[in-house]
Amino acid sequence: MTKILLVDDDIELAGMLGEYLEREGFQVWAVQDGRKAAEMALGENFDLVVLDVMMPGLNGIEVLRAIRRESRLPVLMLTAKGDDEDRIVGLELGADDYVPKPCRPRELAARIRAILRRAQATPGTGPECHRVGALAVWPARRQAEWDGKALELTSTEFNLLEVLARHAGRVVSKAELTENALGRRLARFDRSVDVHMSSLRHKLGTLPDGRSCIHTVRGMGYQLIKE
Amino acid sequence: MGRLFWKFFLAFWLALLIAGIAVGTGVWFHKRSLDEAGDDLVMGPAAALMVRAASATLAHGGLPALRDWLATAGEDPRLRLYAVNDEGRDLLGRNYAAVALERARRLAEAPTGRPAAAYLLDGAGTRYLLFVAEAGMGTPAGTPPPWLPILAGLLASLGFSALLAWYLAKPIRVLRSAFDAASAGDLDVRVAPGMGGRRDELADLGRDFDHMAGRLRDLMDIQRRLLHDVSHEIRSPLARLHAAIDLARQQPERLEISLDRIEREGARLDEMVGELLTLSRLEAGMADTRRECMDLADLVGMVVEDARFEAEVQGRRVEFAAPVPAPVRCGAELLHRAVENVVRNALRFSPPGGVIDIRVEQAGPGRVAVVVRDGGPGVPAAHLEAIFDPFYRVENGQGGAGFGLGLALARRAVEAHGGVIRAANRPGGGLEVHIELPTDSAAEERRTPA
Repeated sequence: MTKILLVDDDIELAGMLGEYLEREGFQVWAVQDGRKAAEMALGENFDLVVLDVMMPGLNGIEVLRAIRRESRLPVLMLTAKGDDEDRIVGLELGADDYVPKPCRPRELAARIRAILRRAQATPGTGPECHRVGALAVWPARRQAEWDGKALELTSTEFNLLEVLARHAGRVVSKAELTENALGRRLARFDRSVDVHMSSLRHKLGTLPDGRSCIHTVRGMGYQLIKE
Repeated sequence: MGRLFWKFFLAFWLALLIAGIAVGTGVWFHKRSLDEAGDDLVMGPAAALMVRAASATLAHGGLPALRDWLATAGEDPRLRLYAVNDEGRDLLGRNYAAVALERARRLAEAPTGRPAAAYLLDGAGTRYLLFVAEAGMGTPAGTPPPWLPILAGLLASLGFSALLAWYLAKPIRVLRSAFDAASAGDLDVRVAPGMGGRRDELADLGRDFDHMAGRLRDLMDIQRRLLHDVSHEIRSPLARLHAAIDLARQQPERLEISLDRIEREGARLDEMVGELLTLSRLEAGMADTRRECMDLADLVGMVVEDARFEAEVQGRRVEFAAPVPAPVRCGAELLHRAVENVVRNALRFSPPGGVIDIRVEQAGPGRVAVVVRDGGPGVPAAHLEAIFDPFYRVENGQGGAGFGLGLALARRAVEAHGGVIRAANRPGGGLEVHIELPTDSAAEERRTPA
């Protein structure tokens, strides 16, 4: 059964969300304290963490930082609606996606499923390996290499890279990337893909002429340069 | 350069020019009178000797010899021997001071002893008045032309005026740009660094501005934080509402429980909005705090009654004592709410079986106090002030039920009544909250004579 760690300081809300998610077939552990949450996320075998960013004590961003230092465990953030700063910082730190709070449990469940689906991509579909320049992507193994060195990517970053590699040399629109890599529709003013792309660029190497291998096509989308 | 700079500049320059011209004219007049005096008749044995020698020269050598003598006479180069005919012309055509001639004439017409001036007649019968005068008049060779000092003065006054105008106008310009920045929303702008080491009224003004900007920024920060907290706090019940609704959909068999939750969250939202409104009314000074006269003991007694009921259910005890009369003038509902919030807070943090001790007592002349003591965990010393801030909650997981508005409201209400509220940790553990209020002086007076 899928194990989910739910980190929220609102005991009552966490109780209700837990109740809902358990009915949806997840196994939920709720924690209120950030420090304990980071400990549990790293120590036990969870499939996904739902993390409230606005918490007293060790806040969500710090918990995320602590998790990302050691693990690529999928993380879904709960952010305050309209608080772009938290959202962007969270995505930059490697959260896989966010849900603005107050959210419907139904939407939360759908997002959790989308992330899990992507993180556990079924092996054996499509080609064995995409090779573009120094980059090699194995969708089935969910691994990527640059110049023979393995890349440490979060699951969302891997998905984005995989979509770009599959369409190397072609511009992939943000809507297409959002749907294929984040598993949801592109919302208005949604900068998630841009933030993920920016951290992806940092992790990949550059082309021989010093340019990034991921090219931004303004107003259209992103393109993986294919020599 | 703003208009102010040009105004200062022109004013200073004009003032300097006028002063310069006035002083220059005065000096010129003075110098001229000095020059005239300096060209004065020289008397004394040397002059008399020169004059007698001249008359001898004329007698023996005629006019050409006199001319030679006039040109060379005397050892002192400043002394000049003049020979002026009746038409006033010097034999060598030199200039002399009219005053000297006048005095020489008087001296020659009434000679005494050895005169330093005398009339001589040449062969043609022309009369010459001989006298010695000190050289002056006319500009000595090597002095600069007169336009040079004028130009120098002009330039100096120009430079000085510009400097002074800049010195005065600059801090004002700095202030202005600071005001512009502040009105554009940048309250971190500071004037003092732009003032350098100035110590005058303008620098004081700058400091005042800095102080004002800092204060405004603090107030804005408080407001911003409050707004942020409010939106966050409103979201919590909303999130629970959403969750309850989706649970109701997911589990129709438990509809009743979900509906109860929805109702509870709705009521909580309502309560919170109400408290926020009261708080903002209090902050705007709109609350009525002088309406009713009543004894504080009665008011606290009402709170205690309610609290006792609640406390007994939870196995806690409320002790109440009001040994002194405490007439106050207040907005009873508001003050009731303030005391209630403090007592509720004490109840919430008291351990089961704990005692909450409430007393109304005299707190000095003209002041009464409500003291609420609980047996709870107390508050970290650094936070004793902060517990009266909106949305402050002690981080121990016990305060989940409130919004953190109760004590904030209590403080505003007490302050609106001219009182003070403060919290302290009790030596034996627990929190002690003091609410101090001024007594109703009219009621006191009514009672004292009776």
